[in-house]
Amino acid sequence: MKAAPSLRLRLLLGTLLWIVATIGVTGWVLQGMFEQHLSRQFHAELATHLNQLAANLEINAAGQPEVSHVLSDPRLERPYSGLYWQVDRMRSDTMPAKPALLRSRSLWDGELRVPDDWLGDGEHHEHRLNGPKGESLRMIEQSLHLTEQQAENTEQTLRLIVAADEKLLAEPVERFRGLLLMALSLLAGGLILAAIVQVVAGLRPLNRLRDELTRLRDGEQALLGGSHPAEIQPLVDELNTVLERNAEFVERARSQAGNLAHAVKTPLAVMANAAAAERSELAELVTSQVSVARQHIDHHLARARIAASAQVHGQHCLLRPAIEGLLRVMQRVHAERALTLHLDDDREILVFRGEAQDLQEMLGNLLDNACKWAGSRVEVSASRQAGELCIDIDDDGPGIDIEARPLLLQRGQRGDEQVPGSGLGLAIVDDLASLYGGRLALLDSPLGGLRVRLCLPAGKNKELDQASTGEKSCCNT
Amino acid sequence: MRILVVEDEPTLCLQLSRTLSAAGYAVDTAVNGLDALHLGSEEPFDAVVLDLGLPVLDGLSVLKRWRAAGRNMPVLILTARGDWHERVAGIDAGADDYLTKPFHMEELQARLRALIRRAAGQAANELVCGPLTLDTRSAKAHVDGQALVLTSHEFRVLAFLMHRRGQVCSRSELSEHIYPMDNDRDSNTIEVFVGRLRKKLPPDMIETLRGMGYRLRCDA
Repeated sequence: MKAAPSLRLRLLLGTLLWIVATIGVTGWVLQGMFEQHLSRQFHAELATHLNQLAANLEINAAGQPEVSHVLSDPRLERPYSGLYWQVDRMRSDTMPAKPALLRSRSLWDGELRVPDDWLGDGEHHEHRLNGPKGESLRMIEQSLHLTEQQAENTEQTLRLIVAADEKLLAEPVERFRGLLLMALSLLAGGLILAAIVQVVAGLRPLNRLRDELTRLRDGEQALLGGSHPAEIQPLVDELNTVLERNAEFVERARSQAGNLAHAVKTPLAVMANAAAAERSELAELVTSQVSVARQHIDHHLARARIAASAQVHGQHCLLRPAIEGLLRVMQRVHAERALTLHLDDDREILVFRGEAQDLQEMLGNLLDNACKWAGSRVEVSASRQAGELCIDIDDDGPGIDIEARPLLLQRGQRGDEQVPGSGLGLAIVDDLASLYGGRLALLDSPLGGLRVRLCLPAGKNKELDQASTGEKSCCNT
Repeated sequence: MRILVVEDEPTLCLQLSRTLSAAGYAVDTAVNGLDALHLGSEEPFDAVVLDLGLPVLDGLSVLKRWRAAGRNMPVLILTARGDWHERVAGIDAGADDYLTKPFHMEELQARLRALIRRAAGQAANELVCGPLTLDTRSAKAHVDGQALVLTSHEFRVLAFLMHRRGQVCSRSELSEHIYPMDNDRDSNTIEVFVGRLRKKLPPDMIETLRGMGYRLRCDA
């Protein structure tokens, strides 16, 4: 299955796209409006100059048009300033066309070459053309009919032109665009930053949930803890309910399996006893089959335990009370052997990360084996090595040949048929240990016999303090 | 030696009772926890075979109540529950040994013998008193290597005296330890058994202390 893209990425990408789109559109609209506004203002300015020009234009005594007053804008006097005016005489019935009849000082030697145009009365036309220096100009034109006062019939049609360099328009637009770009970039940056903060902060509870789940998986806790936001809490509660139900089912299944096994054991004992009292083929058959049945029960009971243990999370228990309880049992059960059982007194409080019953099951089998084989002494020592709990069980018995050791970890193998036991011990311990990610090793003991080293995941003390205040305090012996 | 067998499975209870009786013990049985509690609290047993899964009152509770009341006879738990945490719980409740079903009768007997012997402060299976030896495994007694022919009641009286050799045992104490509950207890019959034993043993080994009881003397 392809993983869905990360929630954070999705939220961030979505927000980013939205921010870029809205800011972009805003910038485009603002820029457009500003340009439009400037353009209108430009046009209005040109129109003002045109009106001023029209107002000051009159026919002098020689019948020639002339500008009576200097126009107010000083740019019209400065050469090549970018603001120009010009008066052309249009061709009419009486007069030939004469371009650049009058022109502003700013035009200096040049003249504006305006394409021919037919202008209606009072119309303003706008054009683009090249100026005296090749610059791009915007111009408006208007026609004006002047009548000589002295000669009624000599009417002149003049074309009044005012032009301005487009740069005068482009510069403020450029400036505005720069400012706008900066302002909008700042805004976008701020928004993106806010979005990132929001996404990270908003998704933090999910990270916390993930950490909790990791701890759950690592067996550091049995249920999800902590308080979560209202959107996540129902999820956590549901998950906890499922976990609790699961643990309950496992426990029930395990106890059912146990009950069944134990219910069968008593009739088996009866049959075995009855068979032992007789000497016949049938009796022998019963005896051997009872022993086989017993092995099956023990094996499957142990497998059920292992299967159930895999489901249980978040258990911790102290090592020392578990060992001490077992040593009390060994002292009694093997009282006839007069063994010295010694527990190495390590000051450190060692904690096993797992279930107390499993720990006792593993150590019980190992200790029982050691006590069966020991001559006079069994020593138990435990230490913590690199996050692992290593428990050494030494005996001064005959030991086991190196070649024979791997066989002992296989089901049904027994070192010696004479010593009572189901022959499952070491194999089951090995299975249980590997289930917890631990391991079992058979080594030479300094006492002369066998050293069984059981390494299991260690828990932290602090966690146990928390665990033991809860109802599930373990290692009750 | 008197033994209480607490087992709710009737066939197994019968098997245990027969086997142990044949081995020379006076056997009482209880099929539920409450009966077991009463019997164990009232009668002086030399050992108890206790099942854990019992009707009315479970075996562990029975055991704990006995121990709380100061009853310290050796108790062997015989149960189908063989998990180590259950064994720890059994031993910590005051049991002296733990055996899981299915079991070998021989092993049960060996463990019972060991419990009784240890309770009497004996180290070996063979009890020795002067020329007299008593092997608890084979339930046989010898004087100077010569086997004694004893009835089961005679053996029980002798075994009890041997376990308490050098100490005074009252007649009622003797009768309590050699008869199961349902038998008529007549302390006069103890005199009969002691009289018969005296004839089979070297002279003066069984001393009568008037008004107090009997004592087995090993230095005679």
